[in-house]
Amino acid sequence: MKNENEHYLSDWLADKMSDDQLQQLVSSADFLAFQMIKKALNNYSVLEPNMERNFAAIKEKYATKKVTKTRNVIPMWSYAVAASLLLFFGLYQFYFFTNEVQTDFGFTKTIVLKDNSHVTLNSKSKISYPNLFQYNRNIRLEGEAFFEVQKGSSFTVITALGKVKVLGTKFNVGSFDDYFEVICYEGKVSVEVNKKVTILTKGESVRFYNATFENWADENGIKPLWITGENTFKNVPMKYVFAKFKNQYNVEVAFPKSVEDIKFTGSFTNANIETALKSICIPLHLKYSNTASRKIQISE
Amino acid sequence: MNQDNQQSCSQLCNEAVFKAVFDSYFKLLRNFLIYKFKNIERAEDTAQNAFVILWENCGALKPEQAKRFLYTTAIRLSLNLIKHDKIVTNFELQSKPNETHQESPEFLLEETELKIRLEKAINDLPEKQRTVFLMNRMENQSYTEIASVLDLSVKAVEKRMHLALLSLRKVVKNV
Repeated sequence: MKNENEHYLSDWLADKMSDDQLQQLVSSADFLAFQMIKKALNNYSVLEPNMERNFAAIKEKYATKKVTKTRNVIPMWSYAVAASLLLFFGLYQFYFFTNEVQTDFGFTKTIVLKDNSHVTLNSKSKISYPNLFQYNRNIRLEGEAFFEVQKGSSFTVITALGKVKVLGTKFNVGSFDDYFEVICYEGKVSVEVNKKVTILTKGESVRFYNATFENWADENGIKPLWITGENTFKNVPMKYVFAKFKNQYNVEVAFPKSVEDIKFTGSFTNANIETALKSICIPLHLKYSNTASRKIQISE
Repeated sequence: MNQDNQQSCSQLCNEAVFKAVFDSYFKLLRNFLIYKFKNIERAEDTAQNAFVILWENCGALKPEQAKRFLYTTAIRLSLNLIKHDKIVTNFELQSKPNETHQESPEFLLEETELKIRLEKAINDLPEKQRTVFLMNRMENQSYTEIASVLDLSVKAVEKRMHLALLSLRKVVKNV
């Protein structure tokens, strides 16, 4: 009869203790009361559940829950993560790429950055760079620009097609649709395209378009000629020449497909559309329509 | 159910097996929740939700794990419920339908009075004592069974039974 002081009533309720044994432990009044309760409770139950209705309710809840399940499956914390990522990238954009400089058709522009580097933008080009440029020398470029970089920590030009990394030098970067060109005028630059790195020294240039990669070293100038009002090309497919022409003069140029891949070496002036067209078309024996309209038709 | 248990692994997704689990445990679970909440609607709603969750997880559970899972889930669901509103409702006892009383009116009156006193005393019991006490008294579940589904020691169950009966005894003092 161990634990009798602790829970003898539970033993009695479970019939592990007889009525006689309990009577020895408690007063007769208590015993009668306990017995009355035990007996009374035997006469009672709780209301019976309607099993069919409950099962139907479970089925219905399961079906409706299943419809919205995809939404419920996303845990709450993932919203927090999404929100903080958005905030993070928002701040990143705000701090790192907020200054934007853009040129319109036919204009060039020179910008002096906070570290005293110079950037000259060719027509219809755009750069963006961080507010704290001194500490984070990354520039995004769309189009073409000539860079004269002050010596210092690494300076990176990011374009849609590739990256150019330098320490202190002068170089030109052109990035148009699928055409990417870097010419180094002074110092040393590293060009990264599709994880492939090419080092350029003075006078060397690289060019990527379609799957073509060209690399040569015959640049003798100290800066690109477009800065002084002339666009030059060396062995460049005509479609890129016309693309640049369009940026310069803001006109539509239509040309036959056969012309597209002809390599052009030469230059055109930025001052006069008539002269410029002549310098492109005459060497290739091409004809062109009236330059007064906004749309120029080139034909063989 | 016992034959189904033998088949084991995730037969639970089979609707027939699930229905068998429902038939075995729904009433027990729902009554346990009635003792807990003192409210039939809320108890049935919570029991249904526990079965819905069981169904959703049927692939990961064996039929023999279902009972324990249902109680744990229902307790977890009820924690949320109680936090949200603390409406106090009353537990009511039903006379068993098969009991035919051919007693004197005096006895019936006395009995009705006792019933009212007991109901009040049960209502006033601490929740932990009430659930354990009624699970044993109303459904004849053994202390071991109760301890197992509620994750308690048998000793704790016995203690609660003892204390509950002591409390109830106070209301029949003057009989």
